[in-house]
Amino acid sequence: MDTVSEMGDSLNDSPAGLDRVQRWMQAVITHPDGVLTGADEKAARELIDAGQGNLESVVTRSRSLSAADRLAIYANAYYARLLECMANIFPVLRRTLGEDIFNGFAFEYLQSFPSRSYTLNHLGQHFVQYLRETRPGSEKEDDAGWVDFLISLSTLEWTIYGVFDGPGTETESMLEASDVESIDPDAWLDIRLETPPCLALLALDYPVNEFYTAVRASEEELELPFVEPAVSYVAISRRDYIVRRYELSHPQYRLLKSLHEGETVGKALEACAGVVPDDELDQLIIDVKLWFRNWTMERCFFRKILV
Amino acid sequence: MKTELMRRLGHPNLGLGLGLRMPHAQHILENRPRVDWFEVISENFMDSKGRPRHVLDQIAEQYPIVMHGVSLSIGSTDPLDHEYLKKLKALAAEVNAVWVSDHLCWTGVAGRNSHDLLPIPLTEESLQHVVERIRVVQDVMERAFVFENPSSYVGFTGSTMSEWEFLSRMTEASGCGLLLDVNNVYVSARNHDFDPEEYIRSVPHDRVVQFHLAGHTDCTTHLIDTHDHPVIGAVWELYRLAHELTGGVSTLLEWDANIQPFEELHREVLKAKKYLRQEGVVGAVADWRDEIGRDADDESNLKGAQGDGPVAPHPLHLSSVEVQ
Repeated sequence: MDTVSEMGDSLNDSPAGLDRVQRWMQAVITHPDGVLTGADEKAARELIDAGQGNLESVVTRSRSLSAADRLAIYANAYYARLLECMANIFPVLRRTLGEDIFNGFAFEYLQSFPSRSYTLNHLGQHFVQYLRETRPGSEKEDDAGWVDFLISLSTLEWTIYGVFDGPGTETESMLEASDVESIDPDAWLDIRLETPPCLALLALDYPVNEFYTAVRASEEELELPFVEPAVSYVAISRRDYIVRRYELSHPQYRLLKSLHEGETVGKALEACAGVVPDDELDQLIIDVKLWFRNWTMERCFFRKILV
Repeated sequence: MKTELMRRLGHPNLGLGLGLRMPHAQHILENRPRVDWFEVISENFMDSKGRPRHVLDQIAEQYPIVMHGVSLSIGSTDPLDHEYLKKLKALAAEVNAVWVSDHLCWTGVAGRNSHDLLPIPLTEESLQHVVERIRVVQDVMERAFVFENPSSYVGFTGSTMSEWEFLSRMTEASGCGLLLDVNNVYVSARNHDFDPEEYIRSVPHDRVVQFHLAGHTDCTTHLIDTHDHPVIGAVWELYRLAHELTGGVSTLLEWDANIQPFEELHREVLKAKKYLRQEGVVGAVADWRDEIGRDADDESNLKGAQGDGPVAPHPLHLSSVEVQ
């Protein structure tokens, strides 16, 4: 550990001096309780022993600002920037919670999952996991239900965010309805349908897709509707660089999920039929034909037939 | 008579450019405005496979593109990220980037990224460290890299040289180019109590490949490089000096927050013609007023950021998701 008087010399040593200053500064400006507390923390003092009373031994003051004030410019910017990014990734969640509560969640999340990527596009990748890990236990059932709603909504928004700028199919042709109709009925059950990389299938504990639509359509000041828990299924894909969302029934979800996992049409239909009452199976046969027709017309569900 | 293009490190003077911002993309693609070139934030496109990359590919077919990064972290003591460099190089090839730049700074250590441009102590140790890393980067990229002087808000007691001396020695030892951000010189000069003119006069002019111009926020006790205001008169005058001393190089206007309509930003960068000294300067000065359509000193149409909240340097440019 450098004493204050040795800090100046240590900067001119081989890489250890520069490394120590950078680790110290990072510890100080990212501390959740601010620069002064950060400088007094053991983690910082083990690097450079300059507590809040001695910051000017490391960082110079200006005519108008103390060293602490100058470091605080970076500290404030650090959180402001990252919270803005989180709000951009989860705009409906932010609107739902309000800025203060959303920032509170995001702030705590950043303590557990600070950015380790060259791009801010990855900043939210652990947020759903974080909400799950910090979910209140069963003794706080109301709170747990509320967090489950946030988990569902965050899952939807993170998926939308990833589909928007992830790989897509805009430069290739997709399966058309006529391609599906031309399949020999005898071969139908053994084929596989390749799905595009932009297709995501979600099973959620709350009807958040409907909620997402309602929030985006509503004015900022309007009170948002309370949402009761109900399992919902959503397909998210992309066409012409615009993200598309499709509400699914449970049978539709099971069918698509099986196909998405590489199963044959036959196996996928079995999985689908497994969640349909026996007295509705005849109708299912009719419905499935319509589903495939509608999905292929959307041109963002199936890429090609694999035999 | 047409002024001969000045070449720096083999790069031409591209003229007056703008930062490519997604809210302007449709306007640019539909109207093909008379902008000389565009600068893009490298990290926004390196992994993009959606609309942002599609837009860039289309614009790159029509305009020269320069890449400007924020995560190279050349001054960090963490190892260089070779996966990042591989992606950077690939993007540069795909969009035919005229040059690639980043900042003299570090962004994080111990595997973390603050996504800010943090200052380094200006010492022999850090100079040697940075020069070695620049050489590696240039070897990997197979081209000379360009580094920008960042705006800064702290100085270090252990620093042993001025920023302009550091930049001079850095460029000479590594062979890299300089992106001289004139607004950053002004901001840092106020924050660190040095003479911005001395800075402009002291950097190696033959290494300057590009200028940045931008607005900032005056917080009374300090300035912050917020990129959300028009360029102020004092910065324009520094730009005039820099232009005279370098002979003129590519100039880019940065505007990253409180985004104005495209035409307003275009007018703002065209003001630079007032400060350029080229052959046939009389014609050039007379023409620029017609081109922008109003008195260029009238900044009232361009409004800076409003409202409360923390003021952050070099704000993010985030794309909004398009979802039906």
